Amino acid sequence: MNQLIFDISVWLDDTAWSTAIHESYYLYNWIESTHVLTLMLSLGILFLIDMRMLGWALPNVSATRLAERLNTPMLVGFVVMFITGILLFYAVPVRSSQSLWFRIKMVLLVVCAVNAYLFHRRMTQSMSTWENAPRAPSELRKGALISLGFWTVIVLCGRFIAYDWYDCEYPQPDMIRALAGCIDGQTRF
Amino acid sequence: MNSATTRQTPIGPYPRAAIATGLLALLLAFSFSGMRSEVWTALLPFFEWMETTWFGYVGKTWGGAFATIQAGHLVSLGVLGGAVLFSDGRLLGLYSSLPLRDVIDGSHQVFKWALAVVVFTGVFMVCGVAVKVYYLPVFWYKMLSLSVGVLFAFYVRKPLVDRDLSDVSPLAIKLTAVASIMVWFTVAATGRWIGFS
Repeated sequence: MNQLIFDISVWLDDTAWSTAIHESYYLYNWIESTHVLTLMLSLGILFLIDMRMLGWALPNVSATRLAERLNTPMLVGFVVMFITGILLFYAVPVRSSQSLWFRIKMVLLVVCAVNAYLFHRRMTQSMSTWENAPRAPSELRKGALISLGFWTVIVLCGRFIAYDWYDCEYPQPDMIRALAGCIDGQTRF
Repeated sequence: MNSATTRQTPIGPYPRAAIATGLLALLLAFSFSGMRSEVWTALLPFFEWMETTWFGYVGKTWGGAFATIQAGHLVSLGVLGGAVLFSDGRLLGLYSSLPLRDVIDGSHQVFKWALAVVVFTGVFMVCGVAVKVYYLPVFWYKMLSLSVGVLFAFYVRKPLVDRDLSDVSPLAIKLTAVASIMVWFTVAATGRWIGFS
């Protein structure tokens, strides 16, 4: 599996557009800035919904109506983050695919997507019984807490990717090498 | 909280907005005047001292701690931006089925907490690289835009939206919302720019 990921990454790295992005100071920084600044639209609004579910914010606004109305701008934010995230990976595919933090981030993104799906389904099924209550039912509050916690760790992993503490080009414990999927260090982008 | 009657003061009916506008004008005049370099030079010892504080020591010694605080800064900036976009979006006429007053008041509470965390984590981060950022023009642009943002949020936007909004010109409300989004976007963008400098 790691060999396959590595081969795909090397193939991506060999494409002209990948080189063009990582060698362009302005293009790479524009993409990265858009990725980070869209946090205000995606994560900011998601956290507002989560905090409302937990009873920490906007107690007088209907929780389900808030979630419904903010769904579209939040999804627009996540789509922009997703596209810019793919471009950032595409610019530096070999190092990213062998980054422990990048791998943790990808796993947590899947967990958050599943949590969001379950959260939305539970909310739709039960909304008529608690819509104007100051806090959502226990199951939904757990989902909101998971969302807040895991998204915070995702941002943390995003920051840690920039650091080389566990990069494959340095001597690492076997467990780290296995988790990061080290194949041949980070001699390429 | 809401006042339909206009109060008359020696500096007009909107004293907080007038004071804030005066402060903003002074801030901008200072930023483009010769006094700026004198104050800038005098501030160097303060920035050197910041690096010797416990925050500075932790920030310089443990990269993991610095990156963790950076992540907290980003998350709180995201929440601040979410509160601004939600509240100003509502002022611009979006999500019209949500109660205007509750959205504005509730978002302001979130905004205040997020701003407090942004400032706290920001001070920590500056302590770790104080002398470096002291010499970066973009750091001062960020401080200028943050000052403008705080003054605007608490002394222009807040007094306006605390009024009975049916008595306020819709154009003034919409311009305030657009200005608010733009000023906080500038704060975030200049912060990102520091990372590239």
